[in-house]
Amino acid sequence: MLAEHLKIIGVVVGTIGIFTLLANAIPQVQSEVPLDVSFGADVSASELTASGELLFGSAGGCTACHGLGTRAPNLLTGNGGDGPIGVRCNNRVPGESCKEYLYLAMVDPNVYMVEGYSPIMPDMRRSLSNDQIWALVAYLEAQGGEVTVTGADINQGREDSASSASTATVDNGVAAPASSATDPVDILNGNACLGCHILNGTGAPIGPSFDGIGSRLTADYIRESILDPGAGASEGFEASLGLMPAIYGNQLTAQQLENVVMFLANRR
Amino acid sequence: MSILLDLREKKTSLNSKQNGGRSLLWAAVAVCGIVSQFVMPDFLLAQGSEAMRQYGDFPLVGSRVAIWVAAQVHLLFAAFVLGVPMFAVVAEAVGIFGGDSKYDKLAKEFTRLLLVAYSATAIWGAILSFLLVTLYPGLWLYLVEIFQVSMWVYVSLFFFESFTLYLYYYGWDLWSKGRAKLVHWTLGILLNVWGTAVMFIANSWLTYMMSPPADVTPDTAPGMVQFWSAFANATWMPINIHRIIANVVFGGAIVGAYAAYRFLVAKTDEERAHYDWMGYIGNLIAIGALIILPFAGYYLGREIYEFNQQMGITMMGGFMSWLWIIQAFLIGVLFLAGNYYLWVGMGRIPGAERFTPYTKWMLVVLVLGVMVWATPNTMIADREEIAAMGGTHHPFLGVLGVMSAKNTAVNLMILTTFLSFLLYRRANSRPTVTWARTATIVQVALFVISTFVVLFYGVWGYFVPAITRIGFSVYQVLAVLATIIGVITIDVFMLRGAESRGDIRWGQMPARSQYALFILAVTFTWLMGLMGFARSGIRQHWHVWEVMRDTSEQAATPALGYAAIVISGCVLIFFALVSFIFWLGGLAEKGTKVLSDTAKVEARPGVSQ
Repeated sequence: MLAEHLKIIGVVVGTIGIFTLLANAIPQVQSEVPLDVSFGADVSASELTASGELLFGSAGGCTACHGLGTRAPNLLTGNGGDGPIGVRCNNRVPGESCKEYLYLAMVDPNVYMVEGYSPIMPDMRRSLSNDQIWALVAYLEAQGGEVTVTGADINQGREDSASSASTATVDNGVAAPASSATDPVDILNGNACLGCHILNGTGAPIGPSFDGIGSRLTADYIRESILDPGAGASEGFEASLGLMPAIYGNQLTAQQLENVVMFLANRR
Repeated sequence: MSILLDLREKKTSLNSKQNGGRSLLWAAVAVCGIVSQFVMPDFLLAQGSEAMRQYGDFPLVGSRVAIWVAAQVHLLFAAFVLGVPMFAVVAEAVGIFGGDSKYDKLAKEFTRLLLVAYSATAIWGAILSFLLVTLYPGLWLYLVEIFQVSMWVYVSLFFFESFTLYLYYYGWDLWSKGRAKLVHWTLGILLNVWGTAVMFIANSWLTYMMSPPADVTPDTAPGMVQFWSAFANATWMPINIHRIIANVVFGGAIVGAYAAYRFLVAKTDEERAHYDWMGYIGNLIAIGALIILPFAGYYLGREIYEFNQQMGITMMGGFMSWLWIIQAFLIGVLFLAGNYYLWVGMGRIPGAERFTPYTKWMLVVLVLGVMVWATPNTMIADREEIAAMGGTHHPFLGVLGVMSAKNTAVNLMILTTFLSFLLYRRANSRPTVTWARTATIVQVALFVISTFVVLFYGVWGYFVPAITRIGFSVYQVLAVLATIIGVITIDVFMLRGAESRGDIRWGQMPARSQYALFILAVTFTWLMGLMGFARSGIRQHWHVWEVMRDTSEQAATPALGYAAIVISGCVLIFFALVSFIFWLGGLAEKGTKVLSDTAKVEARPGVSQ
């Protein structure tokens, strides 16, 4: 009887031991907490780059997508022969400097979609501070390019953040609404709607075009689609169902919502 | 850190003579539970949020491990006490409506295990609550502010659940005939209703931490969060469904291990036969439910992606990517052990030898399936590693590590396991219906068609975009499910009135088959710990995702090796305790048997004391 009990204990402990050993034999990756960083006006490029590298490789979570090249462009290696991100960022959007482009790509990632990829990147302000985002910008600039981020950029970013926090009626950490704007086009632009919809031929065709939308949909349907975008998909856009966040009911004032709804309903 | 605030207590013994001490324990646990849920938050509120500390410290292992172990062990017991009533009530129904009393006895034995495990669930629930209040008071207060109404309902449901359980078990022999038996069975159903409601409520708290409503921000005061939107959050129902099925799997596996133990230490052939049969039923339940568990897992994963792509990517391709390789290995062990048990078990079935040649081919499919499923794909790699590999994916393994290959592998493994069950079921039967041959051909055709569908979409998946490829998994799953339902329906009708090729020789099982049941139980338990780590770990350094940040010293989410050590500790604690309480249950059984034997002697004519 004792031998039988020992055998049972051996099987149980042995099985647990094998699983434990196996889990310890694979590469060990810990999810770090983003280090709180605060840079002064005279911060150096090397300080920024070092902080950015740490964030990029661990707590920023960037490598989960950008380290592969399948979910998002690989930023460290050449993407289709264009070179690393520090080389190609200057040419991505005419008129925008590398750091402007990279900063915008992190705080409003759907504005400039790289062809062939889905709009899956979140607004990094939800998880990283202003200083951390600028540190990442500096690190990415350093990948084949020159670091141009300065203490002044970081300070300006802080002021913008404080300003947007004070004017936003609800701070979801996503792109702030166009404050008290009542012009529907301003509201659409301020809420990054053209990141996924087309208006006057401008924007991305991820969701239904706003051009001619009034001839296809009623005002009630448009209102419901804004307030509860997961309720259903427009024909031809079933694959995009779930991409639009259900935040605009809180983010827009009632007046802004109605202005947008009526504007779209009249676009026949 | 699975924060399941599941406090299960307040049981009052109906038999005060036997359970006087236990009643006292329940009373203490009940009082503690109520204090923790109602008094403590008020006390904390009175301190003011400014003065209140956010975190406590736990000696030696730290707060994180302390709460992790308490939550995990509590969850394991809770899963057992929620899973067992589901198949106990089904077994009782088979006994009632099928007229086979051995199923009724089996259901009662299941419930006796449930009774003793219930105590441990309550104790660990109390430990978890107190650790949460003392080690994470800020988080606790936050959750209470949002969920206090559901906590009151939760506590109330304990009373219903506890008393229903006691009535169900202690009324078993009293209400064993006619309408009274149906009333008793209804109690079993009611027990499941209460238990499921309790689990759903607790699930809302932990899923809120994963997927709070989009309009809740770090600046939202908890009192302003709308209760129902927090309660019925994005991952609530997927977790509910996943846990219901997983509880059945887990309950079946633990029952199987219990039966295996009793089989190995049995002293009589009768006892051995009974526990052999019980082990078979436990394995049948566990593997049967395991077959559909991946589908619930897909649903949960999909909802996580729908809620937040970043969270989904962190889970599948971020720092947790290797976790799924370990998971694949564990599930491979489950499939192999479950099938091995069935194949060995066919040795005690007359007529099963005609299926023996197929075993090796099923083994080949299972092993290949495990190998494909465990092939890494999207690993985090730095520049040097990418250069060494010659690209972001391994030149050969990268092809097998993609979702198309893995979906194909797992669906074929499910079909193979189902085939094992079918052969086991058919082994000692000879159908007598005239259409048996046609039906068998149809069954074979269903297997062939579903295999073709699975392979076809698996290959085609390589040539289409990801979004289309994801949709293919639905067709693969539907093909497999349709085959399972179609084949088993045909089989049920075909084997009605079938001739037997000989009685199953229950009890004539080699000991090695019983160790397979132990491996199944241990692997399921470890897998639950691993999945608990995955579900909780994807929040990373957030108590409530992107709403309430974990600012404690142990906010970083540990690597898998560290997590594995904690999980193993939890599993060892669970098995040590479950062995102890089953041993206690065995003592009670012996006591009952002695009393029963004494009663028989007293009743015998001519024998008097």
